[in-house]
Amino acid sequence: MKRKGGASLMNSPNALCFGEEFPATGVPCHVEVSPSGLTLRFQDDARGLGELSLPFSTVSVSAGGLDHDQLVVRWGLTSQVQTLYLKDPAVIRAFRSAAPPVLTKHLDETAATVRRVRSRNRTVWAFMSAVIGGLVLAVWFSTDILVGWAVDRIPVEWEKRLGQSAYQDFLVQQTVMKEGASVAAVHEISQRLLEHILDNPYTFEISVVKNDVVNAFALPGGYVVVFTGLLEQAKSGEEVAGVLSHEFNHVLERHGLERIVKQLGVVAVIGIILGDQQGLAGVMKQVGVELLSLKFGRAQETEADVRGLQLLHRARIDPDGMITFFQRMSEQEQGRVEWLSTHPMSAARAERLKKEMALLSKTVPEPFTFQWETVQASAGAVRR
Amino acid sequence: MKSEILYPGAFPMARVELTAGEAIKAESGAMVASSPTIDVESKMEGGFLGALSRKFLTGEKFFFQTLRASRGPGEVLLAPTVPGEIVMMELDGVNEYMVQKDGFLAGDEMIKLDSQMQSLSRGLLGGEGFFILKVSGKGTLLLNSFGAIHKIELKPDQEYIVDNSHLVAWSGTTSYNIERAASGWVASFTSGEGFVCRFRGPGVVYIQSRNPGGFGAWVRQFIPVSE
Repeated sequence: MKRKGGASLMNSPNALCFGEEFPATGVPCHVEVSPSGLTLRFQDDARGLGELSLPFSTVSVSAGGLDHDQLVVRWGLTSQVQTLYLKDPAVIRAFRSAAPPVLTKHLDETAATVRRVRSRNRTVWAFMSAVIGGLVLAVWFSTDILVGWAVDRIPVEWEKRLGQSAYQDFLVQQTVMKEGASVAAVHEISQRLLEHILDNPYTFEISVVKNDVVNAFALPGGYVVVFTGLLEQAKSGEEVAGVLSHEFNHVLERHGLERIVKQLGVVAVIGIILGDQQGLAGVMKQVGVELLSLKFGRAQETEADVRGLQLLHRARIDPDGMITFFQRMSEQEQGRVEWLSTHPMSAARAERLKKEMALLSKTVPEPFTFQWETVQASAGAVRR
Repeated sequence: MKSEILYPGAFPMARVELTAGEAIKAESGAMVASSPTIDVESKMEGGFLGALSRKFLTGEKFFFQTLRASRGPGEVLLAPTVPGEIVMMELDGVNEYMVQKDGFLAGDEMIKLDSQMQSLSRGLLGGEGFFILKVSGKGTLLLNSFGAIHKIELKPDQEYIVDNSHLVAWSGTTSYNIERAASGWVASFTSGEGFVCRFRGPGVVYIQSRNPGGFGAWVRQFIPVSE
C-alpha cells in the first residue's frame, strides 16, 4: 500500500470511504479499477489523504448497503479498518472482472448468499401471505363466533343507552298513545310475557304509536314500538302476543347488537375485546341513527320465532295466534304490511313453527282479560 | 442558493436566498412568502407518471413546486405543515438518503427525487409504508420532522435501534432489519413499541423526537363525536 500526496486530477466522486476518524456520512472519493487493484482519489486534501492504492491482495469484499446492492471493500488492520462503499454498477463490474478469483470467488459467494437470502425471504413472505390469507378466510367464516364473542363483552348499559337514543328520536316524530283500551291491552300482553322471561337483564319499555302501518319493532336494550295498524289487523290478543314475543326475543338474544357489530366489522370486534370503549361508543352513537332500519338475518328471525314460541308457551298464551297472524299477513296485500318486509313469511317458516309447537307440552291457554273488539275499536278510533 | 433556518425549535421557517435564475424544489404548499421576483412553477417531478406514482405510492404531494428567481434575485420563506424542526444538509453527490414520505420540505433544483419501493417486510412493518423517497444528487436539502430532529452517526458495523415511527431519513449506506422490540410477541406490543428498526452503519440516521401516529391517537380522544 502506498500513498501519494499532493493534488491529483480529480474525477467526480463515485464511492464513499468510511473509517474511525472519518465522518459518519463518509468521505466521497473517486475509485478507479486497474488490473492490480484499486486507486482511490480523495477530493478532501485537508485530511492529507490524496491518493491511495489498494492492491487486491490487501482487501476483502462483501455486499452491503440498504438493499445489499453495494460493494463493500475493507482493508487495514483490525483496529483501523477502513471501508469503501461502491455503488456505481460500472465500477462494480470493472472490479469483478479485474479482481483475482480468490476475491471474486468470495464475492460470488456473497452475491449467492444475498440471492439465497432474498429467495428465502420471498419464500417466507409467500408462506406468510398464505397464512395471513388463510387466517382472513378463517375469520371470514367464523365471523359469527367472533361477533358473538364481541357482543358478549358489550355491557347491557351501553346497549340501553344506544337503544334509548334511537327510541326517543323516533317517538318525538310520532303520536304516542298514553291511555285507552289498546294501550292497556298491549301492556297486559307484555306483562304476561315479561313475567315469564328467565334472567331478564332489560327493563322493557313498550309504546303504542298512532300509525296505520302494520308493524312493530324492537330496539336494542328493550325499547319496543307497536303501531295501531298492527292492532287493527290482528284478530286477537294472542296474535299480538305472538308478534311481541318474537320482538322481545330479538332484544333478549341481542340480535340488534350482533348486526351492529357485524356492520362495524372486525376492527370493532377487536376494539370491544381490547376494551376500547370510548372509540366504540362514538361509532355506535353514529350507527344508532340507523338502528331503525336495521334488518335481522334469517338465522336471527328463526331464533326469535322459536324462542318467541317457547315464551308464549311458558306464559300460557295460545301460540296458534303467532302462526295464524304470520300466515294471514303474508296472504294479504304485501305493500301495506310493513312488518312483512322485514319479516318475510314463508311456508317453510310456518312449517317450522308448527313443528316446534308439536314438541312443546300441551297446556291450557289462559285467555286475556280484555275484550279484543274494544281494543280494536280504541286503536281504530285514532284514525276516525 | 443560500438558506438559513429562522426561529429554530417547534415552529421554524426556512429562508432561501436565490440569485437570478436559481430555483428550488419544495413540497407543494410549503411556500409562506416570497419576493415578487420569484415565480412559482408547479412541476411534476419525474414526468406525469412519476408524479402520479409518487402521489399514489408514497402518499407525497402530487406536485412539487419549483420556485424560480426568474425576474432577478429574491428570497423565499418556506414552512412545513406540522410543528417541528427543519434540518438543512448538503448532499455531496455520492451519499443518497432515504426519506420517509412527509420528511421532504425543499431542496436544490439539482436534487433528484425518486419513489423507491421497500421490501415487503420493511414496507409492512417499518412504519413508513411501502414507498419512500430516495433523494440523491448534489445540493442543499431541507428536511422537516414532527418534533425535534436528532442525528445518529454510525461508524461501520455500529448498530442502533430506532422505533419505526420516529424515522425521518437515513443514508443509503446503512442497512436495517425490522425486529420485535422485546423478545416475545406479547411483550413487544404491551411495551408500546411493537416493531423497531435495527440500523447498521456506516451512515447517519435522522430521527424525530415525536411520533405523528401516536400524537394523532392522543388528539383523537379529545375530538367530540358529532351528534
